[in-house]
Amino acid sequence: MKIIAYSGMNPKKERRSMKPNFFNKDKKTINDQEDPDNIPLRNRPQKSIRAKITISFSLFFIFCCAITSWSYWILTQLEHKIDFLEITDNYMVEIQQARRFEKNYLLYSTDLNDALEHIKKANTILKEHNRTIEAILGKEHFNKMIIYMAKYHDQLALLGDVENDQDREKLVPMLREYGSQMVSFAEEIVKKERSSVARMLLLAKRVPLYFIFVLLILVVFVVNSLVRQVILTLKRFMDYTKRIGEGDFSPIVPVRKYRDEFTKLAEAFNRMTKELNHRHEILLESHKLRAIGTLVAGVAHELNNPLNNTLLTASMLKEDFKEISEDEKLEMIDDLINETERSQRIVKDLLDFARESETLIKPLNIDEIVNDSVRLVANQVRLAKIKLDVEFEENLPRIHGDEQMLKQVFVNLILNAVDALSPGGNVRISVQRDKLPGYLLVTVQDDGPGIPEHIQSRIFEPFFTTKGQGKGTGLGLSVCRGIIRKLGGYIHLKGSSAAGTTFTVSLPITDSPSEMMSR
Amino acid sequence: MEEKKLKIMVIDDENIVGKRLKPALEKTGDIVETFEDGEKALARFNESPFDIVVTDIRMEKIDGIEILEQINAKSPHTKVIIITGYATVEVAREALSKGAFDFIAKPFKPGDLREIIKRASKELRA
Repeated sequence: MKIIAYSGMNPKKERRSMKPNFFNKDKKTINDQEDPDNIPLRNRPQKSIRAKITISFSLFFIFCCAITSWSYWILTQLEHKIDFLEITDNYMVEIQQARRFEKNYLLYSTDLNDALEHIKKANTILKEHNRTIEAILGKEHFNKMIIYMAKYHDQLALLGDVENDQDREKLVPMLREYGSQMVSFAEEIVKKERSSVARMLLLAKRVPLYFIFVLLILVVFVVNSLVRQVILTLKRFMDYTKRIGEGDFSPIVPVRKYRDEFTKLAEAFNRMTKELNHRHEILLESHKLRAIGTLVAGVAHELNNPLNNTLLTASMLKEDFKEISEDEKLEMIDDLINETERSQRIVKDLLDFARESETLIKPLNIDEIVNDSVRLVANQVRLAKIKLDVEFEENLPRIHGDEQMLKQVFVNLILNAVDALSPGGNVRISVQRDKLPGYLLVTVQDDGPGIPEHIQSRIFEPFFTTKGQGKGTGLGLSVCRGIIRKLGGYIHLKGSSAAGTTFTVSLPITDSPSEMMSR
Repeated sequence: MEEKKLKIMVIDDENIVGKRLKPALEKTGDIVETFEDGEKALARFNESPFDIVVTDIRMEKIDGIEILEQINAKSPHTKVIIITGYATVEVAREALSKGAFDFIAKPFKPGDLREIIKRASKELRA
């Protein structure tokens, strides 16, 4: 358990800094930056949510651009391929025509020039698109193709020149060989181009699917990171408000490595809790004054006894001065001294309690605190004819807290119990080790009529009171809770029924090394 | 003519009060008995009634108002004077309404009480 040691509030100094600064706004900003609570918040590299959102959306945009360009490129390629497919088809048709005319020439001796004409056309197509075809078939195949085409053309030309059938028969196998090679090359081009187009179509079909898939991953990632940064932080801040509401005014400490827009909010929270803390101190002080007011009535009553004894004794000493013996005079003077000292003691406890002092967290003996508190309320307890028992477990470790604040809590709890009791009632205070490790448990128990169940949940609220108008401010328990939360402890209404009411206060045990050694 | 001696009872759990008041009140020639314990005082009162009872209002076991009520019930002519811790209108009103002769607030001088007792004895002898 971490205890935040408050260096204490100097009301005057605080008040001065609260004054609105009309003249120099810059100075105020500088003051804010110098707020020691905010230094750990500020001393972090910045990673703003705005930047993150901008980067995320830029990434989305770049990604979309990339996908669109890719898609555009694929479609353009496809367009070219389809155009080229037409060309290869034309080439194929030319080759096939050439061969058909070649056959017709051999069979029916038609005009061979038709065949030559088609070869020439095929050759033109080949030359026009030589680069594309070369890229598809590879240089070696393309060269072979050119060679076969040339050879076929040569053979065809030779065929036209020869006159006798014998020579013609010699040429025919070669012609056929080159012809079929040429056709198969053409077929290969067409086949390759068709499969390439099919591949590209498939790709074009898949691109949107890939796009959606990647987008999904990106969205999940970005949303997740934004949720972590925004929603979780909001939740954290909701927890802070709850914590502050409960009276824990310790400053917000950095949770993450980077600062962002929420850092400003955290700084504002720290400023607010500082103000709240200051107000709480004032509230505490006014509540203490009220408690002192109550205690003073008892003290005044109690003080009248020694004063009366002193006045009676002094009066009689003066009245009978000549008649009484030396011994009697001495006895009366002793009485005077004793009664004066008694008055001093009665006033001293209250003065200790009433003294304005800064919050000072230090190791304290719980039994001293409880006994002092009991002595403070002793007059009230006696006046109300109530029996008050105190019980301590042995060898209790010291606790961490502020003496006056703790007394204020116990005085308040006892006075509440006294208010609830009718004469003859009992209040029992016991101090023991808490079940929660590292804590001591103080139980204040009365056998009064109990707190009605429907208001039990509200008793720690500020200004909630069951006492008549003008009798209670309704601040007692809320102030107690504020104090105890501030000291790192817990205060609970453990139970309230017709058999009585029990409040428990858990206080952190001090854990300085010397304390541990001595234990 | 010699006045009849009055029997005065002083009850206060502060023993110095009795110790100092006894000689102070005896000066008028009256008989004074002091008690620190209200119950013992009442027991003594039952044995023989007193003319004037001076009692503190706030005591551990039994308080002054109760003593006042019991004495009034037993011996209506007895004058009861209440000593209050500090003077509040409520306490004075309660005491007077319940039949106290008068009240005196601490701290007081022996002379102040003697004045009240003087008035009480006048009424008793009237």
